[in-house]
Amino acid sequence: MGLRRYLVSKTAWYLGALLVAVVLNFLLPRLIPGNPVDVIVSQLGRGGMSSEAQAAIYQQFLEQFGLDKPLWDQFWIYVTHALQGNLGLSFSFYPTPVSDLISQSLPFTLVLQIPAIILGWIIGNLLGAVAAYKGGSWDKSVFTTSLVFNSMPYYCLSIILLYGLAVVLGWFPPGGAYSLGNSPEWSWDFFSDALQYWWLPFLSLLLINIGGQAVGMRSMAIYELGSDYVNYSRSLGIGDRKMTGYIFRNAMLPQITGLALSIGTMVGGALITELVFNYPGMGTLLFSAISANDYPIVQAVTLIITVAVLVANYLVEVLYGFIDPRIRAAKSGEK
Amino acid sequence: MSEKILMRASNLTASYAADSGQDVPAVDNVTIEVPEGQILGLAGESGCGKSTMGNALAMIAQPPLYVLTGTMEIDGETIDLSTLDSGANARHRPFRGKVVSMLPQGAMNAVSPTLKIKDLAYDVMRAHDPRVTRAEAMDRANDRLKMLELPTRALDSYAHQLSGGMKQRMVTVISTLLNPRLLIADEPTSALDVSSQKALIEMLLAMIEAKIMAGVIFITHDLPVLSMVTDRLAIMYAGKVVENGRTEDLVHAARHPYTSALLAAVLDPTEETRTKHVLGIPGSPPNLANPPSGCRFHPRCPFAMEICSRKEPAMIDEHGHDVACWWAQENPGAVVPMEVSRV
Amino acid sequence: MTNIQSNAVVAETEGPVAPVEPETPKAKARPAWRSLNFGPRLWVSVGIILVITLLAFVGPLFYPYGPDQKVGSIYDSPSAEHILGTENFGYDVIAVLMASTRNSLINGLLAGTLATFIGVLIGILAGYVGGWLEEALMGITNIVLAIPAIVILILISISLQSTNIPFLKGIAGLALVIGITSWPWTARAVRAQASSVATREHIDVAKLSGARTPGILVFDVLPYLASYVVMAWVLQLASAILAESTLSMLGLGVSGTNSLGMQLHWALAFQAVATGAWWAFLPPTIVLTLISFGFLYLQSSLDEVFNPRLRRGKKKNLAAAAKRREEAARKLAEQGDAVGVAA
Repeated sequence: MGLRRYLVSKTAWYLGALLVAVVLNFLLPRLIPGNPVDVIVSQLGRGGMSSEAQAAIYQQFLEQFGLDKPLWDQFWIYVTHALQGNLGLSFSFYPTPVSDLISQSLPFTLVLQIPAIILGWIIGNLLGAVAAYKGGSWDKSVFTTSLVFNSMPYYCLSIILLYGLAVVLGWFPPGGAYSLGNSPEWSWDFFSDALQYWWLPFLSLLLINIGGQAVGMRSMAIYELGSDYVNYSRSLGIGDRKMTGYIFRNAMLPQITGLALSIGTMVGGALITELVFNYPGMGTLLFSAISANDYPIVQAVTLIITVAVLVANYLVEVLYGFIDPRIRAAKSGEK
Repeated sequence: MSEKILMRASNLTASYAADSGQDVPAVDNVTIEVPEGQILGLAGESGCGKSTMGNALAMIAQPPLYVLTGTMEIDGETIDLSTLDSGANARHRPFRGKVVSMLPQGAMNAVSPTLKIKDLAYDVMRAHDPRVTRAEAMDRANDRLKMLELPTRALDSYAHQLSGGMKQRMVTVISTLLNPRLLIADEPTSALDVSSQKALIEMLLAMIEAKIMAGVIFITHDLPVLSMVTDRLAIMYAGKVVENGRTEDLVHAARHPYTSALLAAVLDPTEETRTKHVLGIPGSPPNLANPPSGCRFHPRCPFAMEICSRKEPAMIDEHGHDVACWWAQENPGAVVPMEVSRV
Repeated sequence: MTNIQSNAVVAETEGPVAPVEPETPKAKARPAWRSLNFGPRLWVSVGIILVITLLAFVGPLFYPYGPDQKVGSIYDSPSAEHILGTENFGYDVIAVLMASTRNSLINGLLAGTLATFIGVLIGILAGYVGGWLEEALMGITNIVLAIPAIVILILISISLQSTNIPFLKGIAGLALVIGITSWPWTARAVRAQASSVATREHIDVAKLSGARTPGILVFDVLPYLASYVVMAWVLQLASAILAESTLSMLGLGVSGTNSLGMQLHWALAFQAVATGAWWAFLPPTIVLTLISFGFLYLQSSLDEVFNPRLRRGKKKNLAAAAKRREEAARKLAEQGDAVGVAA
């Protein structure tokens, strides 16, 4: 296919997906019948907000959304604002900018998710490959355990771990991200404190990611085990360890594209995990925004999740292009 | 026999065993020899056990195929070919590639798609001698390619970058990199176009000439190729070797009706064969799980006698031309009359 | 949501559907369905699903309390009358659990079936018709796939909450939303299969005999995809149930309705975990896990039924087969010895 063509086509695809995602993010809330701001503000009124504050919010929103202008202009305003990092003001914490709230919660989500996804992918693939190669009871136990974790909804495992390890056994603090009275700052004290709170949500994400990857890798590796090159390498006296390396390399390639495709679901599931642990990341922010009908936050969170997932997918696919020799080194036609 | 024997495999029995149900002996108590410096052709219909025998001799049988018994004497060593015990793999590994090497059927996927040819060459050498450095391995591979007049830059390629014929030749080079005593070539030409076939065969002959390997077992159902390149032929039927001798003896003076029928069915019409009526082989090979009694060929044999269905014929050595057939025993020295047609 | 759907991708890239085990001659022909190996896994998973379905649909008929019957106060501990105590509103946990399971299953069935239907329709059209239609349909599919499903779900359901159409605010509305957002995985998997079926000969025959495209799709293409469609459906059922509970936990569920996700939503909102009221959150957690596990296990065992390469031998049979082979090897060795002595 050629690396250049591959990269160009992937870039075009992801730009397209990004555009569609942004349009959806913009359009879907506007499908609400009537003026969305009316709906939102009237709901706020029920929450007992003063009419003065309501009027201010109303004005701010009309301006921000440009609701008196045609849809196309509204979209333009939306995009330019978003590009400038202006995600509007929150209703429930009016007049805090949404971007402030997000910059408070995003780090918590990132420290939880990135290690869980990367480590889960690595450990899961190793386990799956070993299970496929060893077979027998190894395979059986790894496969069944992985399948259990893979099929477990993230939040179910989170709830069980939280109750078992934190509430009953008391090994970990039961929820939150740092001790009461502490506050996020760049200090050793804070980090060592936060680490205690980080373990449990991290573990629950990690276990499930491991499970999912191991199940996938196992089937890929079993498929590879039957391939001609394994038989041939064996007939040359190449050792088992080396051969496991070959299998792992080949089975890993589809697993990389698999990772790109599952990042979205991983992130989605992880949001609820935060909720269970009351971990102050994007998921918890999203949850409180939904219950408070805090539209700007919901929209901003969904936008950021989408962009982050698309960027992650894109990076993985670009990496794939550099790894897979069938793309990197196109046919040179040695006769 | 005057020639020095390179390899003798004795009492080889290999079975396919599904985890439930019957075992199917695909190679049944076979003994064969390869003389030093010669090419032994192994022929027979598909399902006769020739590839299974190749796998057993290359010590790469894997479940569901099991080698039940058999020993191989090669290079002054005696190797137990059985794969039943758990230590078999470790016992066989040092011999694979170094003493007995395999040239597989379709080379298309024989090299891992993420591995360069030179990396495979290096891995093969390292597998048998951990002290080999990358530079030494590259030197050796380069020398070998130069000797065979192949482009050395092919080493730097991935399999998908090579044409089918080139891929098969590179695989052949890899298979013979360690100068194995015996090379087992399992249908090496079947997936190639005619000119690539020719190039590969010429290369194999040149390698034998250069004493890169001391003997070859060439497995194919392509009999014209076999009769062209082999020194000796062994004909297999239903898991047994039925006839075995110098190629020209078998081609011109087959002693077993099956050999005769097989050759007649596929040989191209030369001056000699054109005038004769082609016999063909009626029926199909038997179910190996439940083979016919006596001589396994008797239900399809136009010369079958009463004894054939009762008693298995022993292998009789007639001056280096072995045959297991009651008809041959009753008609010593006679050639199977090819033009006989069945009524 | 879990990564259930990533399995669909694996299934798609896995290669041939056809059995690849070596053909061992069978003693006598068995009906095709008998040769499918319905292993114990399949029965375990079917059992789990059956038990849960009974709990959801038959259980309430025999249970003395209803899900909307206030029988105590918040988080009453389990007692003889209320085996799993009460939840935050003072309802009996078991009664609520049964109602929730029922609603979750109904939702899963509606949404999963809808998603499968759309996915199969798009996949089969794209795969069979090909050309620009395939490009367009798969373009849409890939874009929808790249955008995290949860985002679209959240955006649509939050918009629906503000509508005044009762249908859209109920369970059916939620199922509709889930159904129309989760089809792309199925579409991709089905397309890959459909385009391989489209090149088979019987399709040409159908075309030549004048069949029209819709007829060919239903009668000639779909039957070959049946196993894939069934597996995709099973996955969609599970993922729809989980999608519903995810949305409900986020507070986007159908208010005033019981579902497993709503149950967890309230349990979290009323601090059941922190106060140790395990009876309020463990039952829905376990049921959700069981449902998800049951469906996924069912899918993977169906995969092994349709795709025998994934199947590993059963321990018991393997041991028996090993013993059988040892025995055969021993007999052969004895024969060899006897011959040796005689000679």
